[in-house]
Amino acid sequence: MSAKTLLPALARHQSPALLALCLLAIVALASLTGSDTVQVTVAEMMIRVIVVVGLYVFIGNSGIISFGHIGFMCVGAYAAAWATAQPTFKQIMLSGLPVFLQEAEYPFLVAVAGSFALPALVALILGAAIMRLSGTACSIATFAFLVIVNSVYSNWDSVTAGVSSIIGIPTVVGPWIGFAFALLAIAVAHLFQISRFGLMLRASRDDEVAARASAVDVLKVRLAAFVLSAALVGMGGGLYAQFLGILTVDPFYLNLSFITLAMLVVGGMFSLTGAVCGVVAVTAIVEVLRFLERGGLGVALPQGSQELGLGVLMALILVFRPKGLTGGRELRIPRRWPQLGFRRKRLEQRPQEG
Amino acid sequence: MKPLLEIDQIHVRYGDMTALRGVSITVAESEVVCVIGPNGAGKSTTLAAVAGGVKPFRGEVRLNGTAITGRAPERIAALGVSLVPEGRHIFGSLTVDENLAIGGYMRNDKAGVAADRARLLDLLPRLAERLHYPAGRLSGGEQQMLAIARAVMTRPRLLLVDEPSLGLAPKIVDQIYEILLDLRRRDGLTLLINEQSSNRILNHADRIHVLRAGVIQLEGRAEDLRDGDAIRHAYFGFGHQAPAAPAALEAAP
Amino acid sequence: MIGLLQNLIDALSLGSIYALTALGIGLLFGILRLINFAHGDFITIGAYALIVPSADVTARMLIGDFNIALMLPAIALIVIVAALLTDALVFRPLRRSSPPTLMIGSFAVSYIIQNAVLMMYGSRPKAINLWSDANTQVIIGDLRVPMLQVITLVVTLALMAGLSVFLKKSRYGVQMRAAAEDFRMAQYLGVRGNFVIGLAFAISGILASAVALLYVTQSGSLSHTMGVPLALFAFVAVVIGGMGSLVGAVVGGFLVGFIVTMLQAYLPPDLRAFRDAFAFAFVILVLLVRPAGLVPARNTVERV
Repeated sequence: MSAKTLLPALARHQSPALLALCLLAIVALASLTGSDTVQVTVAEMMIRVIVVVGLYVFIGNSGIISFGHIGFMCVGAYAAAWATAQPTFKQIMLSGLPVFLQEAEYPFLVAVAGSFALPALVALILGAAIMRLSGTACSIATFAFLVIVNSVYSNWDSVTAGVSSIIGIPTVVGPWIGFAFALLAIAVAHLFQISRFGLMLRASRDDEVAARASAVDVLKVRLAAFVLSAALVGMGGGLYAQFLGILTVDPFYLNLSFITLAMLVVGGMFSLTGAVCGVVAVTAIVEVLRFLERGGLGVALPQGSQELGLGVLMALILVFRPKGLTGGRELRIPRRWPQLGFRRKRLEQRPQEG
Repeated sequence: MKPLLEIDQIHVRYGDMTALRGVSITVAESEVVCVIGPNGAGKSTTLAAVAGGVKPFRGEVRLNGTAITGRAPERIAALGVSLVPEGRHIFGSLTVDENLAIGGYMRNDKAGVAADRARLLDLLPRLAERLHYPAGRLSGGEQQMLAIARAVMTRPRLLLVDEPSLGLAPKIVDQIYEILLDLRRRDGLTLLINEQSSNRILNHADRIHVLRAGVIQLEGRAEDLRDGDAIRHAYFGFGHQAPAAPAALEAAP
Repeated sequence: MIGLLQNLIDALSLGSIYALTALGIGLLFGILRLINFAHGDFITIGAYALIVPSADVTARMLIGDFNIALMLPAIALIVIVAALLTDALVFRPLRRSSPPTLMIGSFAVSYIIQNAVLMMYGSRPKAINLWSDANTQVIIGDLRVPMLQVITLVVTLALMAGLSVFLKKSRYGVQMRAAAEDFRMAQYLGVRGNFVIGLAFAISGILASAVALLYVTQSGSLSHTMGVPLALFAFVAVVIGGMGSLVGAVVGGFLVGFIVTMLQAYLPPDLRAFRDAFAFAFVILVLLVRPAGLVPARNTVERV
């Protein structure tokens, strides 16, 4: 490839590349510290990157809020657990599983593939039904979906072990594997965003009437984004199961929905950079608050300060910086071309209208 | 004579779309001023900017010499400005009576409110007959009359009327103008009216402004413009010195 | 037959709680287009206001021990103040934001309230004994009706009648209805926007405090997430009834109470655990068949 074709390609894909480099730096630094706690935190953060990037694929591109994606994470996590938990456990506790799952233990990648495919299938069925609803109604329907998943998975004892947990899932996911899949998620999200589908969906987000008028099949592109985003979030769930090694339904409910949504909002709902930055920023803030809660500075903050702090942060961001920390922009190497500088100046000078 | 309303060089933008670029209009006490212009010229935006529905990013609106730019609509209403918007915006699930009552709520003189209500119902017997109907069931003309009556119930000094003839039969439109001019005669009401066409308004207005593409193209006394040539030029923009601005989008407030 | 009647009475009583909650949510949606996730947490605040703030495991009554004539207004006042504070601190700054942003904002408020309660009162659920006399039963023939269910129904009907008279007859009620139908037009006619919204928050606070007291009497326990399931079912009610329609919210509330009770009573035992899943699947179904709900409001056409 000559430099002439390479450069534009690099420019086109620079945001995800830069994001990848940032994450790489974080993982590498974490490895250097050698601390187990740091490793665990970073591994969990990578998984959250996958989940929030998955969430972004739908919310960021379509402009519709989903409260239900944690349901897909739950579906994905259980899919991975079904594939990888020990057969002896499955035959006793999960007797409702089909035989091919009960009697075998599948390798890691198969489990991840399952945690990608099953949520995608569920999303396809659900999405085919609810994507034609208006924004608010659609959001409420995703909420209902979350409750349904929670109710089904915590009561379907023969398949999910109900309120008791699935144990003995091989814990193969650490920071580096998490990082590898985070890269994959970022790449997929980026390619979707610059694809024809992604562009059409963004057009419909900004002006649905105009997009429809120019023959964009809004339902189809919305559904595509919904399925893809559910698959990525589900994959995050599958990795999460293989990170924890033990699985219950409880974590996949409102709190996690809130935290992931907060990450997306804090970073900026409408850019991929925002999704990734939000995860990093919120993780950092939560860790600091946790440190203070444990009495890191001599005085322990009361229990709940961490959550309270996150809630207040999100409210502040909504009020004062509704486009998030990134302001809806993507990460790029700053260029110093004069006309660009001129343009930016004009944009900034533009007065606010009521 | 001191102007009641001064719109001074206002600019309004919706997102990337500039709707008004430096519009100035003054209206004196008891005057009837009309703004005419094609669809999308910025007429509704001008009225909304006076009533507080949109905020100009440059320029000022003054009422009796006091700047009211950017104040909340309800505060501007309290100063004696009332808007009859395009499309009438009747509260369809409320009764005719309740629609009228809303207009009177911000006033303190109960007796005055009752008197105004009685007088308006006298003037508009069709509404009196349907007082306890949901307003959504009225015909278009009746709704327009209700919208005007509702606005008058606030006892405004300045009434802003946005395209009162839109979608109504000519006979009904005549009635509506009769009512408006009657209110002006009796109460000294000041009127700023938007219309798309000039034919009827030339007989009723004192002064006329032609607005196109967010810019005032022409203004003058109605009697001077009666032959219609200057208006046509300003309205359609050919053979005139008007700047060739791209068409601005007119959005309802 | 007696069994069915008994179930119907249960359904009415549960439906009352949902209807009152849905009414509070529907009222704010009507005026602000706000899906208020925090409404359930207003209920939580009302319930916790009864006891002494402390992280102790046992609850000690504070306002809960007051004379009822003092206690009701005190609880209502606390919830009203909390509701108005959320408006002033979060929703008012978000007034011009899009519905999705408002929705996320209320999600954040809900999260904040829950964790603030957790911080002040500890995370463990507490037993509480309010008006245990109300748990006696009224026996009508073969039918045993818990006194509390009768009280719940009466209080609900009284509050609904009160709200209805307020909205129909008082000037502020008429202004609220006008603002719910066309907020900007109401402002052009001098209706003070923030005042009307504050009023809606206050009324939803009163409704939430009523639900708090009824619910606590019935359940006998407090937890910092106690409002969440109530709010979730009330959402279902609001959606089924038709967003923005108050009659719809009430109809939806009773319908949800009916569905949940009947599912609980008549589902085969192995499926009974999935009651909530069925109820929420029903919401999705209603949304699909009748996106505007059973009693559609005339003014909820979303801007496209």
